[in-house]
Amino acid sequence: MSEIIDSYIPVAIFLVVALVMPPMTMFMVKQLSPRSRAAGKYTTYESGSVPTGTARIQFNVEYYLYAIAFVLFDVEVLFLYPWVTVYKGHGITSIAIVEMFIFVFILLFGYIYLWKKEALTWVK
Amino acid sequence: MVNFMLLAPEITVVATGLIILLIGVFMSPRTKNVLGYLASLGVLAALVLTIQSFGTVALMFYDTVSIDGLSQFFKLVFLAVALIVSVASIKYNENSDHTEEFYTLVLFATFGMMVVASANDLILLFCAFELASLATFALAGFEKQNAKSLEGAMKYFVIGAVSSALMLFGISFVYGATGTTSIPAIAENAAFLAQSPIGIVAVVLLIAGFGFKMALVPFHMWAPDTYQGSPSVVSSLLAAGSKKMGFVAAFRVFILALPALQVDWQFAFAILAVVTMTFGNVVAVSQTSVKRMLAYSSLAQAGYIAMAFVVMTPMALTGGIFYTLAHAFMKGGAFIATATVVWMITTQRTGNLDVPDHLDSFRGLGKTMPLAALSMTVFVFALAGIPQTAGFMAKLVLFSSAIEAGMAWLAVIAVLNSALSLFYYARLVRYMYFLPPEGKKIGMPFPYAASLLIAVAGVLIMGFWPEPFLQWAMDAAQVLI
Repeated sequence: MSEIIDSYIPVAIFLVVALVMPPMTMFMVKQLSPRSRAAGKYTTYESGSVPTGTARIQFNVEYYLYAIAFVLFDVEVLFLYPWVTVYKGHGITSIAIVEMFIFVFILLFGYIYLWKKEALTWVK
Repeated sequence: MVNFMLLAPEITVVATGLIILLIGVFMSPRTKNVLGYLASLGVLAALVLTIQSFGTVALMFYDTVSIDGLSQFFKLVFLAVALIVSVASIKYNENSDHTEEFYTLVLFATFGMMVVASANDLILLFCAFELASLATFALAGFEKQNAKSLEGAMKYFVIGAVSSALMLFGISFVYGATGTTSIPAIAENAAFLAQSPIGIVAVVLLIAGFGFKMALVPFHMWAPDTYQGSPSVVSSLLAAGSKKMGFVAAFRVFILALPALQVDWQFAFAILAVVTMTFGNVVAVSQTSVKRMLAYSSLAQAGYIAMAFVVMTPMALTGGIFYTLAHAFMKGGAFIATATVVWMITTQRTGNLDVPDHLDSFRGLGKTMPLAALSMTVFVFALAGIPQTAGFMAKLVLFSSAIEAGMAWLAVIAVLNSALSLFYYARLVRYMYFLPPEGKKIGMPFPYAASLLIAVAGVLIMGFWPEPFLQWAMDAAQVLI
């Protein structure tokens, strides 16, 4: 039993360090860093340009559908990379072609579905 | 070369789902009723193909897919539920604009459950588990204008996501200690897992992950709200189908992969089974919503099935597996009968519209809808275990196996629970036959009637002529021993 407890000593050290580090860094930053209270500091961060208008505007929900469809197909392209690396030299060329066609064919169903449900139309 | 014919049921289900999705988007809402018939035909074809493939034993795809008695029996369970649900949904989806999504999700969920039944590798098992879960999350919230449906779906989703994470965490411990995810290989390399504390952690995490799907107490919190809030046809799929997915996954992972830790999980299941059946039955007594009552009764039934893990004799496993099929027909049918009543209340605009499945809605159902009342009576009596029904045969095999194995205490608790359950089942029958009706006699919609008849036929055939089903269940149990 004591062996198990001994093996957790590194974990305990980690825990102590993890608990001490953040307050210590925050304390040091507070001591060392210069402070300015200019008006520009309290405006919305817009990567350097001056913000215009209010932040509380409504986004078109179409945007999310677009984004989700994009991410879906984007991730599915990722599956083509491992396929490419094993395509040649393993004697599975014909099986690999057929399997990838089935995969792309099923994706096509999704694409036609999105299209017919007007998820790709910007303004209905 | 892989023999793809062995996967014919799965391929049929997926192909039907994709075809429905594709042609559904080109149809107008009025003609979409055809999709329901198409889905039912696809499921029926898959069911026939599964029954034909009984007795086949094969390993496929680098030993990740196993076709054996256990997988084929559970595919039968899932396809039977899918058939009942898709036939009844023809009426539920009438004039709906989202018929194709509904059926595609039902079929994909069924496909996921079928792959879980065949999974011989923990990664495949997890992926298929997620496929079925994601499809049912969407189905539970299918009525997006109905706040209760959304509430149920949200609870189901959040608790489901957490339990998936726990399950995956458990799988990672098993993988870490054995160096493989293949189920037979884990059993061979379990020596380190069995003697280190990691084994216990893995068992606890896996029980939590599967227990969520099986709705064992204390992982049941989502079940009553979700079963009550979801559309009744979806509750039928969840209670009768998706719950069995947890059982087949647990059968495969605990009994086949982790026999080295049997003492630990057997003890855990003993506690869970007793607590679940008692809690479910006691709480079901005080419910006024019939769907909620059925939800708690389905907890109790899960407790009975979990006895198979405790007794662990061939007879107990046969009983537990037989019970899953019996429960699929009884509970699936009972939820469809509730769907019929909910349909009656919402179309007639009488009674309690906030809780259309209230016990009062069943007043005099024997007069207003004789077929629905009669089949509901068959289902609840079968759930209580009245002789000559599927539920009786299942309980007989399971409880007597417990006595044979010298666990009389477990059998006594289970029998006492069954007696308690008869109270709330009989109360429902009293409402249907001995209280005066509120409306006039109503014609039964054909899809609901057909679906109820399939379920009644299943319950009665399994009660009067259980031999072939017991034989199949025995073949399935052989895989586990």
